[in-house]
Amino acid sequence: MNGKKVFAIARREYVERVRTKAFWIATLVIPLLFGAFIAIQVSISRKTGGERRIAVVDLTGNTAKPLADELASLEAKQATEAEGRRGPHWILETRPLQGSLDATRDALRREVLAKKINGYLVLDSERLANEETDYYSTTVSDFIAQTQLGSAINRVTMRQKMEARGLPADLSADLEKRIDMKVFKVTQKGESEEKGAGILAAIVFLILMYSTFFMYGYQVMRGVIEEKSSRIVEIVVASVRPTELMLGKILGIGLVGLTQYFVWSLVAMNLSLPWMATMLAGGSDLGVPRIPISMLAYFILFFMLGYFLYASIYTTIAAPFNTDQEAQQLAMIPMMLILGGFLIYPAVMNNPSGRVAVFFSLFPFTASLVMFMRTAVSEPPAWQILLSVALLLGTTALLTWFAGRVYRVGILMYGKKPTIPEILRWVRYSPGKAAQPATRAS
Amino acid sequence: MDYAIDLNGVSKSFGRFKAVDGLSFRVPRGAMFGLLGPNGAGKTTTIRMIMSITAPDSGTIQILGHAMDRRTQNRIGYLPEERGLYRKMKVIDHLYFLAAIKEVSRDTARQRIQGWLEKMELKPWLNKKVDELSKGMQQKIQFISTIVHDPDILILDEPFSGLDPLNVALMREYFLEFRGRGKTIIFCTHVLEQAEKLCDEIVLMARSKKILEGSVKELKRRNSEGLLRISVNASLADVNSLPGVASAKAQDGQFVVALQPGVNQRDFLKRALDLHTVEAFSQKEPDLEEIYIDAVRKAGMEETRTIE
Repeated sequence: MNGKKVFAIARREYVERVRTKAFWIATLVIPLLFGAFIAIQVSISRKTGGERRIAVVDLTGNTAKPLADELASLEAKQATEAEGRRGPHWILETRPLQGSLDATRDALRREVLAKKINGYLVLDSERLANEETDYYSTTVSDFIAQTQLGSAINRVTMRQKMEARGLPADLSADLEKRIDMKVFKVTQKGESEEKGAGILAAIVFLILMYSTFFMYGYQVMRGVIEEKSSRIVEIVVASVRPTELMLGKILGIGLVGLTQYFVWSLVAMNLSLPWMATMLAGGSDLGVPRIPISMLAYFILFFMLGYFLYASIYTTIAAPFNTDQEAQQLAMIPMMLILGGFLIYPAVMNNPSGRVAVFFSLFPFTASLVMFMRTAVSEPPAWQILLSVALLLGTTALLTWFAGRVYRVGILMYGKKPTIPEILRWVRYSPGKAAQPATRAS
Repeated sequence: MDYAIDLNGVSKSFGRFKAVDGLSFRVPRGAMFGLLGPNGAGKTTTIRMIMSITAPDSGTIQILGHAMDRRTQNRIGYLPEERGLYRKMKVIDHLYFLAAIKEVSRDTARQRIQGWLEKMELKPWLNKKVDELSKGMQQKIQFISTIVHDPDILILDEPFSGLDPLNVALMREYFLEFRGRGKTIIFCTHVLEQAEKLCDEIVLMARSKKILEGSVKELKRRNSEGLLRISVNASLADVNSLPGVASAKAQDGQFVVALQPGVNQRDFLKRALDLHTVEAFSQKEPDLEEIYIDAVRKAGMEETRTIE
């Protein structure tokens, strides 16, 4: 192995890729899309502010007024608490019964359809006694407003029931208070409060790792095929050994991946994550997520290990073929493995020390994603982490050897598409023992 | 004596197909050496083994006195038959890259590349992408990449394929200049006419084996026996039916006649004079193609393929 030559190959792969517009577009556009997506979410959530004009048909006769008061006080409270985030502004219009209930509802339906009101609410003591009430609207997905309305009705009726039994009014305010259970993550170093942001960050990282395995694995495959189809490969292997070429290529493209991560993390830490955190938590206090250094370290470690493993699979797949289409079929193999490692994450999250999680975090073809997830949400025993890393390294070494053999023969094969038995024969075929001197490093 | 390249009993099979069979030859230093034969004779496989791109099943290959290693690899310039370039790279970056994988420092590479680009009038294309170059220009770039590390041995596999006559002449000039500096050139082609003009020593291959070797001059002298050029007032069929004729063909208004082994030239001429009017008669020096066909025939092989 000649470091200088591997470096020259890696350098070309890196420079030529980082120089392209496509790289910068992907690098900048993806976080922008992320950001835009979150911005849209936020602006939609802001829209929950705004007028909700609803008609109330109060058959109980004494619920509409306290309900309007309750909603008004809620609005006032929100305005002082969360700046900029305003809940809906309720305008309640009490409507008398016009003949029968059905006739009244007919009239109101027309009003709703004519967009004079957003909806109407029917408060019926019989139905309320059955813990039910009916709200009619053209929009039924206005969840935040609907939830607010529903719980306001709840509180109002609760107070009425307490009053009816002669309980003091201030008791209700007391009862409405909720106990907040805080969750702490127990680690060797002690306990830290987990507000959900850590798990969120872990999932974001997992998605990132998963998608870059695909992206860069595929790029390695394309690179190998391109070298073959442009017929540059023989010129290159006249100067470097195929294994050096392979290694340089994998290294160079891997560094492109790390560069992209670096840019992304700068952007993400400044913009997306805090936004997303507040967003997904529905405005409650999650705290700005601080990504622990250990998570970053594990991320880089398992990204590198996984990337090398999958890249060597992609290299093996690419070497015998001359077009992307021919290689596509076999490219399903690493795809399924990567996908498998990703899709298992809910099971890993639920029980990070369970048998499933342990197995897949040791199984080399899923280990990088699963073990990273485990380190992020729990504290796996050190021996498991070490074993996982060792198995990944061992498998990668074996695969690189295998890939190197297929690559060496495959890159000079043109013409007909080889069959899998043929490819396996390339691996078995050993270079002339009699003639070929052991590589002398000089 | 120290040879540039020394092959000893080299064989290589792909599955059941024997691509190279017990091949031995030596290339003296400073020679313009031709490795010749039709397509599929095993030339490219031989060269790939010399380059350590594929390994022989048996036999030994020595380059500049020892087995191939990294230092020797950097002393060879190789222009493969299957050659291309990274299409999206800038010309100058591409040349730097190809120099770097031969471990040429950037400064040295810069000097040499500038010199060659100037010589080949490619300077305006320096910052263009390879994509934008014509095929001829790309070939020139490939040639520069073959010599950018100032190798001692140059191995060229079909270097003229796809070049226009002007560029062929230009390339030939560069080869001769290169050789003038004491470098060894191995020239690999199926176009025997080209080889004849350039090479002083050759090895002829057919069907994975060496069938002939030696200096071009010597081979021509040795094979001129039984080959005649005759100007006669008769048809090709008439000439062919003359006794003692192995084969005859029309060439430049004359006939080139190969006599059957053991047939005396004087006897043949007497018969010809008896039957036809012979206007001129001379001994013909064979060209490589004729030597090749003859050698194949003598080797007892049925070479049905025609040689271009």
